[in-house]
Amino acid sequence: MAKKKKRVKKKSANSSAAAPRKKKKKKKVAVDASPTPRKKKRKKKVRRVAESQSEAPSNGAQANGAPAKRKRRATAQTMAASQRDISVSEFFAKNRHLLGFDNPRKALLTTIKEAVDNSLDACEEAGILPEIWVHIEQTGGDRYKVGIQDNGPGILKKQIPLIFGKLLYGSKFHRLRQSRGQQGIGISAAGMYGVQTTGKPIKIISKVSVRKPAHYYELQIDTKRNQPKIMNGKGDGVDIPPGEKGSKYIEKHGIEWVEEKSGTRVTIELQAKYTRGRGSVDEYLEQTAIANPHVTLHYLDPDGGTRDYPSSTDKLPPEPKEILPHPYGVELGRLASMLEEAKGMTVSQFLTGSFSRVTPSVSRKICEKAKISTRANSTRLGRQDADALYHAIQDTKISNPSTDCICPIGEELILKGLHQVVPGEFYAAATRPPSVYRGNPFQIEVGLAYGGAAPAQNVSKDLLNELLDETDARTCRQFLVNTFNGMGTEAADKILKASKLGTRQSPSKLTPKQRAALLDSMKNVNISEGQSMNVLRLANRVPLQFQHGACAITQSVIGNNWRSYGLTQSRGSLPKGPVSIMVHIASVWVPFTSESKEAVASYPEIQKELRLGLQAVGRKLGMYLRRRLKVRQQTDRREVFLRYLKEVSTAVSEINGAKRDDLYEQLVKVAKKRTADADMVMDDRGRKLDQEMDLGDNVLIVDPAESEHHINRVAAVEGDEEE
Amino acid sequence: MAKKSPTTAGTKTRVKLSTRDKKTMAALTGLADGVVKAASAKRDPFVDIPSRTLSNVKYSPRKKIIEMGNNKNRRQLFDLSQAKAYMRTMLVASGCKRLLEQGKTTSLRGLYYMLKHTIEGAKENTFDEQGECDTIIEDTEVLLSSIREELHLYAENRGAMVGNITLIDRGDTIDCSRMGSGGYAIPSIVEPEIVELDRKKCKADFILHVEKGTVWQRFNEDRFWEQHNCILTHGAGQPPRGVRRMLNRMHNELKLPIYCVLDNDPWGYYIYSVIKQGSINLAFESQRMAIPEAKYLGLRSVDYTRCDLDDSVKIALNETDKKRAKQIAKYPWFEKKRPWQSEIKKMLSNDFKLEVESLISKDISYVTETYVPERLAAKDWLD
Repeated sequence: MAKKKKRVKKKSANSSAAAPRKKKKKKKVAVDASPTPRKKKRKKKVRRVAESQSEAPSNGAQANGAPAKRKRRATAQTMAASQRDISVSEFFAKNRHLLGFDNPRKALLTTIKEAVDNSLDACEEAGILPEIWVHIEQTGGDRYKVGIQDNGPGILKKQIPLIFGKLLYGSKFHRLRQSRGQQGIGISAAGMYGVQTTGKPIKIISKVSVRKPAHYYELQIDTKRNQPKIMNGKGDGVDIPPGEKGSKYIEKHGIEWVEEKSGTRVTIELQAKYTRGRGSVDEYLEQTAIANPHVTLHYLDPDGGTRDYPSSTDKLPPEPKEILPHPYGVELGRLASMLEEAKGMTVSQFLTGSFSRVTPSVSRKICEKAKISTRANSTRLGRQDADALYHAIQDTKISNPSTDCICPIGEELILKGLHQVVPGEFYAAATRPPSVYRGNPFQIEVGLAYGGAAPAQNVSKDLLNELLDETDARTCRQFLVNTFNGMGTEAADKILKASKLGTRQSPSKLTPKQRAALLDSMKNVNISEGQSMNVLRLANRVPLQFQHGACAITQSVIGNNWRSYGLTQSRGSLPKGPVSIMVHIASVWVPFTSESKEAVASYPEIQKELRLGLQAVGRKLGMYLRRRLKVRQQTDRREVFLRYLKEVSTAVSEINGAKRDDLYEQLVKVAKKRTADADMVMDDRGRKLDQEMDLGDNVLIVDPAESEHHINRVAAVEGDEEE
Repeated sequence: MAKKSPTTAGTKTRVKLSTRDKKTMAALTGLADGVVKAASAKRDPFVDIPSRTLSNVKYSPRKKIIEMGNNKNRRQLFDLSQAKAYMRTMLVASGCKRLLEQGKTTSLRGLYYMLKHTIEGAKENTFDEQGECDTIIEDTEVLLSSIREELHLYAENRGAMVGNITLIDRGDTIDCSRMGSGGYAIPSIVEPEIVELDRKKCKADFILHVEKGTVWQRFNEDRFWEQHNCILTHGAGQPPRGVRRMLNRMHNELKLPIYCVLDNDPWGYYIYSVIKQGSINLAFESQRMAIPEAKYLGLRSVDYTRCDLDDSVKIALNETDKKRAKQIAKYPWFEKKRPWQSEIKKMLSNDFKLEVESLISKDISYVTETYVPERLAAKDWLD
């Protein structure tokens, strides 16, 4: 009891000037209190409460102080005193995990992701072929400086602080249009995280055109008010003049800026951790390159390594159209508020004007069902009417929204992108026709790459050492599974067994000899069987790297029966084999399961399209694998025959004196005729294969003999790293 | 093979071929020519081998022997499962040709070693076990319709004989009544070119064939053949071809009846069946080997009670025995014989089998002094 009273008093004290003194006193009393004189003291306390409350502006304090209501912990009034606005920035500062800042590792990724996504959106909206520079630099033990620059249109001076220094400020939330960003939280949240963890301001430099000055800002975020605080140029930012003078200034102030006509560079210093492998920045950039074949990426990692992902096309994706919401996708509350906003319109005008696919005849039908006159004034409709209208909409047949607002990557570019980044010998892609969930149009695309060595087999000694040093995995097995894509536990066990390491051995404590053994077995153990399928999930061209299990895409992949396509798969798990599958969902509004945009929610319509897309590429893979199997069998057959032909011809010539070599030649000819299928592929792979195997469009077959480096990632990746 | 061919081609020590060898040689050459012909016509070479299975034998009630049917198995070179067998067939044929050419004979194992080598450019042997070679040899026999002897092959000697007969083996005169305790080992090839039989030099009245060497020892030690004036043979279990051919020749050429003393179990019945009608596997040789007039003297299922045997000599029938007995009862050459049907039924109802040696429990020489003479006197046998 006593304690409770204390708390109440403390709270009220906050608002009164006399608080500090009294609080102190009371504390002392509470501490010194001995059990016997309890009653007296309680009385005293009560009086004090009353006193302090009488100082507060509320009345009715007297009643509170009455002995009968002693048991109340807090009153409406005292509680009201502490009830106040919560700023968005405060909320997200506390709940940073909602935005993907749960741990330093993820924070780094999220920061880069948000910045790159914004850059790409801006470039595409402005019709510029995006070129992006990503630079990560370690500034201290757990501090990293991240710089991301684009060649986009740049940002107007007065908008810069708002975009980067205010949460929930942006252009994308209120419109229905396919874009990477949706809410307008991302980059400002990243900046806030940086400011909070390191105290260093966010630095933004943006340039609109060659002749105009570049704007340079150093920002901090006032989390209480969700407002940007400009630190440089006496709160106004600095303009850097164009030309020689400007570049001198840039050099002098140590601002990183790759000279471009226009563009924006944001630099954030934050507490982070850089690792490679699964869920890393490297992986994100790689997948971004796959999903955005028109983008050129330059990446400078903290170890000084550079990697370039050149664009494989110079055609920008078509500009996505903005659409009006579809009536099916609108909730009652939203409908009511829309009605209120629509000033002085008739219901019919309102419906046709603010929704897509509502023609006057459709609106008439809706109104009939809702029993509302089509000419009723929309602002005068009450809640009940809105409710009736809502139900009428659900009951009326309205055609699906137009789907031309969605820009898929396209099968051709998926193939190109996959081929550029994922090694393999067979690629297939399928773009489903657009469909609709809850009134939102969406489109599913699936790409598949088969073959190629597992990433684990292409690790160099130095890279492995680095990876071993970086990892926070506790056991070697965990290290292998977490670091390398597509490595299942089976494969990891196989490797560890071969290298004679204990599964529970700590990866950071390996001796050089053990490391060498590990590397050796990683290269030599055949893990393509133990590999599980690598699933790349993308939403509006943005890679999703976390929460695999919760995502509708992963669930659909697991739910699909891959055994009929020639892969092995145990129930309830991903199929096995050297396969990568890329699934892209494009929509004006991708239904994520959370703000951090990590998993797609499973609407039945989406699940259906996913299934059909997966089946489309699966069928092609199945045909390819069966074909390959047949070829292999034929080759085996021929080998068997050829092996025995010499024996047969020798024996025959011994019996009847026939010429051994002539007979052999003749028999070989017959053997070749009998195993013609094997020949066909051996001689003229591409052409004849296509004739025989009608795989349809959008399939890419790489001749393993010709492009060794594609299948064995070694040369390609390592080469890039060394550059 | 490839590595050996130059040497054989070089040493042209051709022996003059007998007419039989010439016939065999023609068959071999025909086989090889078929391959060349197929190859030059760009067709798949193949051989049709008469099948040696139960489904391809039929019992001729008139001749009372098992004969081979007309079913054939095609063995193709360009068939994944048959390619190796085809190659082996050709190898065996070429091996036999070499033997013929040089006028030599070799054992089955000898031929196996002659043909065994690693295939060029592969880590594979032409043969890995002798068994693989033996079946191919049997295939070749039926394929060329030449018996093993004609291919200059022989098996290990098995079986022995003793009795009032004198024969000539490769020019050596052998008096079978003077063979001591071991007897005359019956060679695997007993064709007239090697073993000559003469009616005049045979004084025996009948042939007694026993199953095993041990029982044969008993009869020999007791000089049974002397007392009863017979020829005593054994085949060490299932009699090999040499023994069967010998019995056949003695039966036909010397007109001697044959009586068999075998164990009372399905195995013993089958040995009798093979001697009498020929075997399924070598159905093509029945004509030369089977002795339809052979009689089954014992042991019989009734002997347990008839001879008043001790309980301890019984051997329980196991599942395979029972299955086998039922199979044998269904063979066409047993099916219509009442005495045999009741004999097998009796054994099954007894639920035990008896070995010839079990008679020793009565007295060491009970079988020679009492059992067989009594049966012969009573003409108590199964046909």
